[in-house]
Amino acid sequence: MSYFLTQLANGLSYGLILGLIAVGFVIVFTSTGVLNFAHGSVLLTGAYLVAVLQGPVGFWAAVVVGIAGAALLGVLINAVLVRNLAEANPGTAAILMLGVDILLLTELTRRIGNRVLPIGAPWGADVVAIGGVTLPTSRAIAAGLAVVVFGLLWFLFARTGTGVAMRAAAADGDTASLMGIRLSRTGAAGWALAGALAAIAGVFLASFPAPGVGPALAISAFAAIPAWVLGGFDSVVGAIVGGLIIGVVTALAVGYESHLHFLGRGLGEVVPYAVMILVLLVRPSGLFGRAEAVRV
Amino acid sequence: MPVPLLTVDDLAVDYDGAVQALRGVSVRVDAGSVVAVLGSNGAGKTTLLRAISRSLGGVGGAVTAGRIHFDGHDLARRDAAGAVRAGLVQVPEGRRIFRDLTVAENLRAGASTVRDKRAREEAAERVFELFPILAERRHQRGGLLSGGQQQMLAMGRALMTSPTLLLLDEPSLGLAPQLVEQIGDIIGQIHAQGTSVLLIEQNAAMGLRVADRAYVLEVGTITAEGSSAELAATDEIRDRYLGVGTSSTAAATTDDAPDDTTVHLRRSTTARARQLRVEDLTVRFGGITALSTVSFTVEAGTIHALIGPNGAGKSTCINVLGGAYRATSGTVHYGDAEVTAMPSHRIADLGVARTFQNISLSLEATVRDNLLVGRHRVMRTGTAAHALRLPRARREERAEREAVRRIAALLRIEHVLDRAVHTLSYGDRKRVEMGRALAAEPTLLLLDEPVAGMTHGESAVMAEAIRAVQRELGLSVLLVEHDMPFVMGLAERITVLDFGKRIAEGSPRDVQRDPEVLRAYLGTAAA
Repeated sequence: MSYFLTQLANGLSYGLILGLIAVGFVIVFTSTGVLNFAHGSVLLTGAYLVAVLQGPVGFWAAVVVGIAGAALLGVLINAVLVRNLAEANPGTAAILMLGVDILLLTELTRRIGNRVLPIGAPWGADVVAIGGVTLPTSRAIAAGLAVVVFGLLWFLFARTGTGVAMRAAAADGDTASLMGIRLSRTGAAGWALAGALAAIAGVFLASFPAPGVGPALAISAFAAIPAWVLGGFDSVVGAIVGGLIIGVVTALAVGYESHLHFLGRGLGEVVPYAVMILVLLVRPSGLFGRAEAVRV
Repeated sequence: MPVPLLTVDDLAVDYDGAVQALRGVSVRVDAGSVVAVLGSNGAGKTTLLRAISRSLGGVGGAVTAGRIHFDGHDLARRDAAGAVRAGLVQVPEGRRIFRDLTVAENLRAGASTVRDKRAREEAAERVFELFPILAERRHQRGGLLSGGQQQMLAMGRALMTSPTLLLLDEPSLGLAPQLVEQIGDIIGQIHAQGTSVLLIEQNAAMGLRVADRAYVLEVGTITAEGSSAELAATDEIRDRYLGVGTSSTAAATTDDAPDDTTVHLRRSTTARARQLRVEDLTVRFGGITALSTVSFTVEAGTIHALIGPNGAGKSTCINVLGGAYRATSGTVHYGDAEVTAMPSHRIADLGVARTFQNISLSLEATVRDNLLVGRHRVMRTGTAAHALRLPRARREERAEREAVRRIAALLRIEHVLDRAVHTLSYGDRKRVEMGRALAAEPTLLLLDEPVAGMTHGESAVMAEAIRAVQRELGLSVLLVEHDMPFVMGLAERITVLDFGKRIAEGSPRDVQRDPEVLRAYLGTAAA
C-alpha cells in the first residue's frame, strides 16, 4: 500500500510540474493562436541560465534571472517572429516554432556539450518520508509551489484588469481591440507568462531525481503535450488536470512495469499518448475544451 | 455654429486591394448630436464605421483616400486601441460579447483603458442604472443572455470608457419590436448624458426616430443627407427603407421584386413534405427552462411562423427540431419519424434543412463552394468517381453547378458566387446560408431570422424567394422572425411564444388582434 501511495505522490508532483508546462502551451495558444513547439527549448534556456549562474551569483538570484530570461525569450520570439508573420495561419506559425526550437536547441547543445550541468538547488538529493510514503524534497517543493502558482494565475485571470483583458483578447481579438485592448500587449504578456512557467518547471525537472541540465531536458517538456491536448487545448484548468492525469498514469506505469511485462518495456514513455488517445476517443475536444452548451 | 466632433472627408476604402467598398464619403457628427447612416446590405455601412474605429485591418480593408478627424486628432495615425483612448468606441455588429466571460467581466474588459478604479466603478454604476437587468445577471456568463440583453451588454461594455462618441452598428438587429423601442429610448438617454452617437440602422424607422441627422449610403457613396424629419418625408426613403403604406411585403416596389420568380428548381428525388408535429416539448438548460410544454403542428407544404420576444425560446425550438439541442421531454415527429430521438445528420436525411441565427458558413470558401456543400445530400456519384473524373461524375458536376446557379439567381447572389464569404455583408451571408439550405432540396426548411439585417426592399425579395421555392418544391417552412410585415405577409399560420410558453396560435389576422400578443410582443406603439 505504501508503495502505491509513494508512486501516487510521485505521480501527482510530477503531474503538477507537467501542468506548469502545459498551462504555458495553453496561454500562448489562446493569446496569440500559436502552437508553441519552441516551448521545450525556452524551458531549457531558463534551466540553462540557472545552472550556469548558480555558481557565480547563488541559486536564488540565478532562478530569478532564469525565469526573467525565459520570459524575455518568449516575448522576443513573439515580437520578432510571430507578430511579423504575413498571415496569421496556425500551421505556418507552428512550423516556424519547430524551426526556432531546432535553432535554440542546437545552440544550447553546443554550449552544454555532453556535460550534465548541476542545478545547484539547496534541497539537493534530500527525501521526505511521511508514514511510509517517500518523495524527493524537490518534488514536494515543486508540488507546493505549483499549487501557489496556479492560485496566482487564477487571481490574475479572474480578478485583475490585465487578466480579464487577456481572456477577452483570447475569446475575440477583433472585438477586444475595439474595446481599446492592445493585442500586442496581451500577446506579449501571454508569452512572458508561459516562458516564466516553463523556467520554473525546468528547474524542478533538472533537480533530483534527475541528474541536472542537459539537452534532453527540452524533450521532457514534450511530455506535457499530451496533458495540454487531453485537457482541451484552450483551457488552463484542463491543462492542470491533464498534467495530473498524465503524471499519475506515467508514475504508476513505471512503478508497476514489472507486473505489466506482457505490455513490454518502456511503458512510461508510451502511456501518456495512449491515455491522450483514449480520452480524445470519448471526448474529441478534450476534457475541458469548447464543446459546451451555447446559443447556436 | 455647432462644433464638429467627427468629420470624415472624401473617404475611400478597398478590400484586399480589389473590391472598392466606399468612395468619396463625407460624414459629419456635431458634438452632442445623434447621426444615423441608413442603407441596404453591402452599401458599406459597417465599412464606414470600421474605418472610423480603425479596425479595417483585421478584415482585410484599407483606407485609400480621405481623412478622418476626431476631436481635433487625425485618426490616420492611431490604431483601434488608440481610437478608444481618444474617446471613440464602437459597438460591433452582432453584439460580439465575450460569451465565456461573466457580465461583470465583460464590463471590466470594456474598461481596460480606464486606469482609475473609482472611474471604473462610477462607469459600472451608470451602466447598471441604464440597464438594470445587467446588474441582476452580473455573475452570469454573457453567452447565456438573450439577444436583447446581449445588445445591452455590448452597449454597456462600450460605455465603460465614458466615450465622447459612441458608434453603434445595427443595435436593433434581431430584436423584437418592443425591445427595439427600448434600445431606441436608451440611445436617447445615452445622448442626454452628453455622449454623441453615430449609428447604423437597417431599421430606418428606429434610426430616424432617435437621430437628429441622417445619411443614406448606397453602393459605397452618400446619396442623400439631411435632418431626420426631412429624410423621413421623402418618397424614396419611405418606399425603400420604411415600407410605409405596404401592409404586406407582396406590395413591394417593382424594382425590388424579382423579375422572374419561376426558377425551375427541380427535385432530384421524389421526396414530399410531411406534417411536423411538436408535442409537449420542454427544454431546460441547467436551472433555466427555455421551453415548457410547447405544442404546435406545421401542416405539409405550408409556411408557419414562430414569433415572440427575445428569450421566448424560438431559437431553442428550431435548435431542437434541427437536432442541435436535446429535448428534456416531449416529442417532435416529422411524418412518422421521431426527430427527437435522432442525431442531426439523420434529421438532415429526412429532408430537414436549416439556417442559423448567428450565421454558420465556411468563411474562406467561395459562395459557390458553400452552396455546393449543401448539395452533398443529393449528390450520387462517389469520391472515387470524382477523383477519376469519370464522365458520370463530370456530368453530375455540371448539373450541380447549374442547380447552384439557379438558387443563386433566385436569391440574387449570382454576382457574388466567386467571392469568399468573409468579404460579404451580413445580409448577403444570410442569403448564402438560405441558399445552402435550399441546395439540399429539403422538404422542411427551418429559418432562424432570415431577414435580420435587411432593408424593407431586400426582405421583400427574400419573401418572394421563399414563396417561390415553397410553390415549386412544395416544401414546408417554419420560420422565426421579428420583422412583422414580413411575417404577416408570408406566414399562413403563426405560433406566438413568450417565456417558453405558447401564448397564441392562429392566422396572421387573429394573432395581430390578440391582446396578449400585443402586450407581450409588439409593445405600446402597436397596441
